Amino acid sequence: MIRNSAHNSQQQLETFEAQALGFTDQLFRVALRLCQDRAKAEDLVQETYLQAWRSFHRFELGTNLRAWLYKIMFNVHYSNQRKDRFHLVPVEETIAETLAYDPPTPQRLTEKEVLAALERLPRDFQVPIVLSDVEELSYREIADVMEIPIGTVMSRLHRGRKILRTELVNYARESGYKISS
Amino acid sequence: MECRNFKELLDSYFCQELAIETNHQLLNHAEHCPHCRAEMASRRNLRESLRRACSQERMSDEACERLRARLRAEAGFQSKTARKQWLNLFEFRFAIPVAATIAVLILAIVGVSSYLRTENPSTDSFDSLALSETLVSEAASDHKKCASKFLLATKPAAMPDTVEPDYIGLEKVAAAGAEGLRLHAAHVCSPDGRRFAHLVYTRDGALISLLVTNRDERAIKADNLFSADDKLDGFQETNRENLSLGAFQTAKHIILVVSELPKPENNKLAQTLALPLVKHFRQLDGQSIAGLPELRYGNDVTILITQLK
Repeated sequence: MIRNSAHNSQQQLETFEAQALGFTDQLFRVALRLCQDRAKAEDLVQETYLQAWRSFHRFELGTNLRAWLYKIMFNVHYSNQRKDRFHLVPVEETIAETLAYDPPTPQRLTEKEVLAALERLPRDFQVPIVLSDVEELSYREIADVMEIPIGTVMSRLHRGRKILRTELVNYARESGYKISS
Repeated sequence: MECRNFKELLDSYFCQELAIETNHQLLNHAEHCPHCRAEMASRRNLRESLRRACSQERMSDEACERLRARLRAEAGFQSKTARKQWLNLFEFRFAIPVAATIAVLILAIVGVSSYLRTENPSTDSFDSLALSETLVSEAASDHKKCASKFLLATKPAAMPDTVEPDYIGLEKVAAAGAEGLRLHAAHVCSPDGRRFAHLVYTRDGALISLLVTNRDERAIKADNLFSADDKLDGFQETNRENLSLGAFQTAKHIILVVSELPKPENNKLAQTLALPLVKHFRQLDGQSIAGLPELRYGNDVTILITQLK
């Protein structure tokens, strides 16, 4: 039966909404790290979903929808960056220092302190940390959605987490907390 | 393993990126080194704080509404364009061949449907409440990413008191259907975003996951979420890569059994292992348990799952 295409489109949209919109907050959390600005993050998520809707006919049901959406979001973000002449240079070119000392992790941490420490990290460290430690993507999935080598993912995670711990230790010391040795 | 290696690998351990053998070495080191054990607890705490802090970040309701409106506008635009193309087909010179094609297709489809109804009378009712591909993938992924981590666990497994109230004590409820299985872990996890209550068993070395999750929009194929509670079909089965999955639904929950066992074996296992949880959640969700079989063990274990109408 040749179906009415308007009805088809409506059904497809309902399927898309039911399957894809459940990931809105997960996309938004990473978009916040990419854009460092709430309004821009919301725009990025909106643009991501529009692109995803337009490409939904190419998405293979049963494969990883969440990773597919993240990948679209990174592509949209990179595309927007290329249009922006003043986008930031990747972190490996600006931070040469490698931390040799890995401090012990403070035992008492509030969510506010942890979030503040995360937000002080360079963007290129924040994003993989959130993808891995909050959204629980595998290292391979992170490499795939960010379109960077898995070695770069592991390096940024390793260094980013070290800097995060150092920030928290410094904060704890300033606040007079005892750090276990 | 030395302390330095332990600290280098610790974050990858939490991300379940290490080989099982390395996990074992890490845990062994932690057992004997109080300093590293403390570091492990602190880093776990850091991850949980980070997760809690970030999970409070959400898109505003206004932004969500704008998103839905844009999507609907986009879909509306697409259907107008498609309708225009559809109407173009009915220009005079195309009318007769198009009409003939439609007639042939109608006859073919009527014929095939008729055949299918005869051969597979249950197809419509089975498909009408099918689980979404997303849920199947998430259940399979949870088993793959999480279950093997607990293969070497030796401490008695019990759901922590901090999980959702519906899941507290689940391992005790499930015990009635788990004869012959060894329980390794009871916890709530969300490797791909969906939260599952997860009981990890082994039987003769084979890993088995018993999973419970909410029956929500994402879990069910889009046009079937609001089917009447009492018309839920019984058992559903499927595959994902090398895994067999069997599932039951109640009004608000989905109970799945996932393993690498061959499908018939997983099906048979699921229909005893999941049964106590099916009864438990049907009662919790306000449904009757009349018609559900009692468990019997021994050589004459009989599968008596009734279609719930």
